[in-house]
Amino acid sequence: MTLQSDIDEIRQIEADAAPTRFARGWHCLGLIRDFGDGKPHAVHAFGQKLVVFRGGDGKINVLDGYCRHMGGDLTQGEVKGDEIACPFHDWRWGGDGRCKKVPYSKRVPKLARTATWTTLEQDGMLFVWNDPERKPPPPEVTIPRIEGATSDEWTDWHWYTTVVNINCREIIDNVVDMAHFFYIHGSLPTHFKNIFEGHVATQYMNGAGRPDIGDPGETRMLGTTSVASYFGPSFMIDDLTYHYPDADHKTVLINCHYPIDANSFVLQYGIIVKKSEALPGDLALETAIGLGDFVKMGFEQDVEIWKNKARIDNPLLCEEDGPVYQLRRWYEQFYVDVADVAPDMVDRFEYELDTTSPHEEWMKVVNANLAAKTAAGTT
Amino acid sequence: MTVRPDNRYADLPMVPVTCRRCGAHVLARKSSWNQTSVQWDADASAHCLERRDAENLAPHSARGLFLACSALSDSIIDAVRHGDLPVVDETVPVTT
Repeated sequence: MTLQSDIDEIRQIEADAAPTRFARGWHCLGLIRDFGDGKPHAVHAFGQKLVVFRGGDGKINVLDGYCRHMGGDLTQGEVKGDEIACPFHDWRWGGDGRCKKVPYSKRVPKLARTATWTTLEQDGMLFVWNDPERKPPPPEVTIPRIEGATSDEWTDWHWYTTVVNINCREIIDNVVDMAHFFYIHGSLPTHFKNIFEGHVATQYMNGAGRPDIGDPGETRMLGTTSVASYFGPSFMIDDLTYHYPDADHKTVLINCHYPIDANSFVLQYGIIVKKSEALPGDLALETAIGLGDFVKMGFEQDVEIWKNKARIDNPLLCEEDGPVYQLRRWYEQFYVDVADVAPDMVDRFEYELDTTSPHEEWMKVVNANLAAKTAAGTT
Repeated sequence: MTVRPDNRYADLPMVPVTCRRCGAHVLARKSSWNQTSVQWDADASAHCLERRDAENLAPHSARGLFLACSALSDSIIDAVRHGDLPVVDETVPVTT
């Protein structure tokens, strides 16, 4: 008997280092209302420090944060007219990245041009196009409009921002990870399907309410219907409906992020809720806030796992898991040059998951919890 | 950074299925009667008639998502019935 055979049978976790390149695509930096005050704002993204400012012409600009003259920090400068003025020597930089004026000099030197990011202001949000190849954004990958975001029939954005110290691939994996919705988030998925095609990755999920979670007497949520798509590498729109005995609550949940560096990202999520007879203005806003708190709790549960887990390139999957490898193949398209995007990264892939066996197991857990509650006299 | 193969394909790989309506060739895999994965390529997507209909309607539908082709779903079920497409549940022993 040799020890070699035992060693061979151990499954090893394998993982390459997180990529140092940042994804090509539109990234939401946050709400326009938080950037549009005419002051410069510092944003740490794509391994750099950026300056975001609204010029006198009303346009929000995103430039590299450091002045090409002597390296002054433009985020501590001042907006003068349509330009950002460096706090060090007052050099003026325009939204197109060109130095427009050196007030104490007769002329601007040659090559006085800094890095800029193409911006999109839409539905209350500010987006930047990141592309290591520095090509303009193709129109077919633009972020879709969100009808409710500009409608009086919906609440305003209820928005959260937080920093997560892990490579952003972990949050992408959630698109396909059906079982974690039970174990981490206390949901009860009853239907689960993924479709990847082009630059879009979609998760269809229906969930049932958890009768064993929540206080007695609380209105029971019957379930949820969710259609959530990543449009590109970082911006997900989730059309999410909560079903209650008396009415449906329609919401849109944004789940988006931008990388700070290879090992951290800024996670943002925003919610709007449709007002209705059952949910007039104030109550819709309360629902948005309540739902926001719920989503916040969900992401905190994720973060707790992420900050302790190992990066893994060879997950060992069972049949009831989602298409993790196929999702990562889709995600890879954003990390290679456009010329190197392989057909299998963008070809349509469908995966409908059979929730029968997971559901049977989870109902056993639910019923055991209910029995324990009854025994403890809490219901 | 290359993405590795799905370990589940070692038990049972995807196999070719042809849509009986439009003749599109896809790869399919069935874990159970209710669990199916389908890999399309550009050629298959261009062939699919239901997809073309959906694209014509896309401006009116929510974010233009195409859910599934029913003719292809039927063709996949036929492939199982004819023994051309094995189901993992019925071919790989249950271990738990």
